[in-house]
Amino acid sequence: MSLADLVLSLADNKQMLGLRYAEWATRAPSLEADIAAAAMGLDDLGHSRVLYGCLEPLGHDPRGSDRESDPKSIRSLAYFDEPWTEWSQFVAANAILDTAFTTVIEACVNGSVEVLKQRLRKMLMEERYHFLHGRSWLRSGIDAAPLLRAWQEALEFFGPPDGETERLHREGRLGMGPAQMRARMEERLEITAPEVTIHWEVWDPIRRRTAEGAIDEHTFAMLRGLEERKYAPPTAAKPASV
Amino acid sequence: MGSRGLTASSGYKRVSGDAVEYEVFARKTREEPLRQVGSVVAPDDDLAMAYARATYDEERWCEMAIVRKEHVIELWQPGET
Repeated sequence: MSLADLVLSLADNKQMLGLRYAEWATRAPSLEADIAAAAMGLDDLGHSRVLYGCLEPLGHDPRGSDRESDPKSIRSLAYFDEPWTEWSQFVAANAILDTAFTTVIEACVNGSVEVLKQRLRKMLMEERYHFLHGRSWLRSGIDAAPLLRAWQEALEFFGPPDGETERLHREGRLGMGPAQMRARMEERLEITAPEVTIHWEVWDPIRRRTAEGAIDEHTFAMLRGLEERKYAPPTAAKPASV
Repeated sequence: MGSRGLTASSGYKRVSGDAVEYEVFARKTREEPLRQVGSVVAPDDDLAMAYARATYDEERWCEMAIVRKEHVIELWQPGET
């Protein structure tokens, strides 16, 4: 696993987080929360674009042609495989997973790779409001199941204690390794991570998850632009006649 | 809520239940004064900051601040001298 692999995973997860946030832009518990869901969705979709743009300067773009045909090629966590049906799932993603991604971005900004230091810094400012939103809702109390799942997947995203992420940390390219990332999250959220068992032997270092599966068919079609084509006028699909 | 909406078993607490109103102030340049651009309703300062930023981000503000409406001390109101 290279640093570019980590950045691509971060970009794919930010893209999926943004899409899932946006799905709640008319279903949150208040009008203000609706607007916040839409705004955070736009932020994260924008962040994913910036992250994709970092791949070429990093010297290695891991995206292959399979991204047009295989949903498993999208490197997002299992938490985003299906649309959320409960507000608690939104809050757990907002408080835990969004903060986990921000922590990795912070590690990139505090590492030695210039393109990441320069381009990702602004994200930390925008993410401050995602954090305030997530932490406040978390404190209001949510179901335990999505919270536990979000923590589990956040720690899986950081990677094993002695894996490639830790190696990138020791080399100075990341400002934090998995242990420091976990501690940083606990410090910011002012809570202790729950005890979770992670089966690192089945952990996929490319998708940074232990769970099988992939994003749902509809979302995958949307990412590829196929859903949009359904609504295109018939003339747009015809080849130009000469 | 429709078919995609929250299930009946969702135990979340609606924000409006115990929320308070905050006034939102902002300015685009250092030269101009802060002016009121709107308000948000939230149960705490953190959420109010997140809501204010999300709701009123259509401009490139150089400064934004919120204040609880109950903390504003009015000297007089319209119609009073």
